[in-house]
Amino acid sequence: MKAPPIPVPAEAGELRSTRPRRRRTLAKVPIYLMLALGAGFALIPFIWMVSTALKTPGQLFKFPPEWIPNPVAWTNFGEAWDALPFGAMVLNSLFVTTLAMVGELSSAAVVAYGFARFHFPFRNALFLLMLSTMMLPWVVTLIPGFLIWKQFGLINTFDPLTVGALFAWGPFYIFLLRQFFLGVSRDIEEAAIVDGANPVQVLWYVMLPLVRPVLLAVAVLSFQGNWNNFKGALIYLQEPLTRFTLPLGLQFFQATLSGGESPRWHLMMAMSTLMVIPVMVLFFLAQRQFIEGIQLGGVKG
Amino acid sequence: MPRIEWYAETLLRYAFVAAVIVGIMLLTYRGLVAVGVRRQTATGFALILPWFLGFLIWNLFPVAASLYLSLTNYNILQTPDFVGLANYDRLLNQDQQFWASLRLTMAYSAITVPLGLALALLAATLLNQGVRGVGLWRTLYYLPAVLPAFVTALLWRFMLLPTRSGLVNTATEPIWSLFGDNAPRWFLDPDTVLWGFVIMSFWGVFGANTVIMLAGLKNIPRDLYEAADVDGAGILPKFRHITLPQLTPTLFYLLIMGIIAGVQIFDIGLFVRVPRENFLNVYLYQQGFTFFNMGYASAIAWVMLVIILVLTLAVFRSSQAWVYYESEARR
Repeated sequence: MKAPPIPVPAEAGELRSTRPRRRRTLAKVPIYLMLALGAGFALIPFIWMVSTALKTPGQLFKFPPEWIPNPVAWTNFGEAWDALPFGAMVLNSLFVTTLAMVGELSSAAVVAYGFARFHFPFRNALFLLMLSTMMLPWVVTLIPGFLIWKQFGLINTFDPLTVGALFAWGPFYIFLLRQFFLGVSRDIEEAAIVDGANPVQVLWYVMLPLVRPVLLAVAVLSFQGNWNNFKGALIYLQEPLTRFTLPLGLQFFQATLSGGESPRWHLMMAMSTLMVIPVMVLFFLAQRQFIEGIQLGGVKG
Repeated sequence: MPRIEWYAETLLRYAFVAAVIVGIMLLTYRGLVAVGVRRQTATGFALILPWFLGFLIWNLFPVAASLYLSLTNYNILQTPDFVGLANYDRLLNQDQQFWASLRLTMAYSAITVPLGLALALLAATLLNQGVRGVGLWRTLYYLPAVLPAFVTALLWRFMLLPTRSGLVNTATEPIWSLFGDNAPRWFLDPDTVLWGFVIMSFWGVFGANTVIMLAGLKNIPRDLYEAADVDGAGILPKFRHITLPQLTPTLFYLLIMGIIAGVQIFDIGLFVRVPRENFLNVYLYQQGFTFFNMGYASAIAWVMLVIILVLTLAVFRSSQAWVYYESEARR
């Protein structure tokens, strides 16, 4: 399945005449202006973040504000990086994100396939039940969940952030994948079954390759979600600092830096910039998947 | 550096749990087939098992357990001490902090959700006017949604510093000086904290909402507009009678998701130091994990559950009146 192409807006006038075209373009100037205003609102904070990350403490509160700092303080990144064991935190974040992503993705695919293709009693009721867990506030399960992990002696390990993913903890991903499995023609599957493939083989060799675009979308969203998972780290990781993931490290960083008389905003912004880079790179590489992933929920839901 | 055992141990347990889940799936399948259940049915049950086990362990049991804990005093070290409804009594009748947090959270949601929907609708409508480079605009608008909420919080806390330290107040200084130079002090002033939060989270969700609504707009069949053109309908009637009704399923989805996310707002609250009350979930976190009043925190969690239940039910109920579904209209 290819991504649905962006429908080319049918220029109704084109069919009749081309004369009013210039007038129409002119009429669109206010539209472009308003759009530019919105884009400015979206972008300026970004630019400010990067700009601040490259300033010396003396340049921080200059008036009028300086967008391109002079001189550029590249050393901020090094200084921020050395302030805490961020190297360890990156490794931890990568470890946690990878494991959680793999677990989340594979279990969601299996469950979605079950809901999409097999008839069993209470299937629809169970599916609705699964969807309704999306509305369950995380704080309701927070404390008992914490106590379960505590019972196993696994507080302050990476387990609560990763092992739980094996239980298909993302109802939204199951929902998305199921929608796409439903769209696959049964003939293709049946051919494989006639050839003697078992359900797992059908899923792996036939179904998953067919829904690759949405699988990629789910993977990208899952990466973003786990890389940015702050709550889990806050609840379950305690000490030492080398146990922290990046979001928790950043929180610790800002708490220590804001404490003093002159908060070192340039370092906080430098660290924020560094932490955001992987997700940004992923976003630019897989923009379509990102945007489609979130759109699908709105349109298909 | 992190110790290699930390990774190895987690990896081992991860593999073990995965193996156990697969094992239970296989046993379920074999068992069901052995007692004469059709293969089709047995396979279905086996495949959804990972979710079902997770539901029992991570949803059903915790919900029941937190209801029980909310009726106890529990500090983790000693066994829970049953106190009946005392926690709820204290919460609702004596706890000023709770009501203040609840008010802030509700006001925040009541402003952010409609604001985010309305302005995203405007932006999406503009993007749908056949402008050039829709893809590029969409990317620009979506960009802030890629950032984690806490980076957004940190960034806006910096931009919303009072006086000339913050970019926002610097840029808007001419406006404030008109009003006798009473520039807001944002997160330093209990009365403006709410607006600081509204601005930062609006920045975070605005683009994502726009992108989703744009998809909804593109899904509206063009022939509806063409038919309206034939009838000579103007822009506003077309918007009122075609665009809005056709977009209601998308609006409904965004409204539900917005309410659920808005009421449960947490991350940004923990990254901003405020002079007085913070969000309800931040208060819950402090009760549970700073003071270890786990019973009391559970009671707050149940209040949260009831709030979300009531709000979503109300929206679902009302949806029959305003959400338009193609398939129903045809019936």
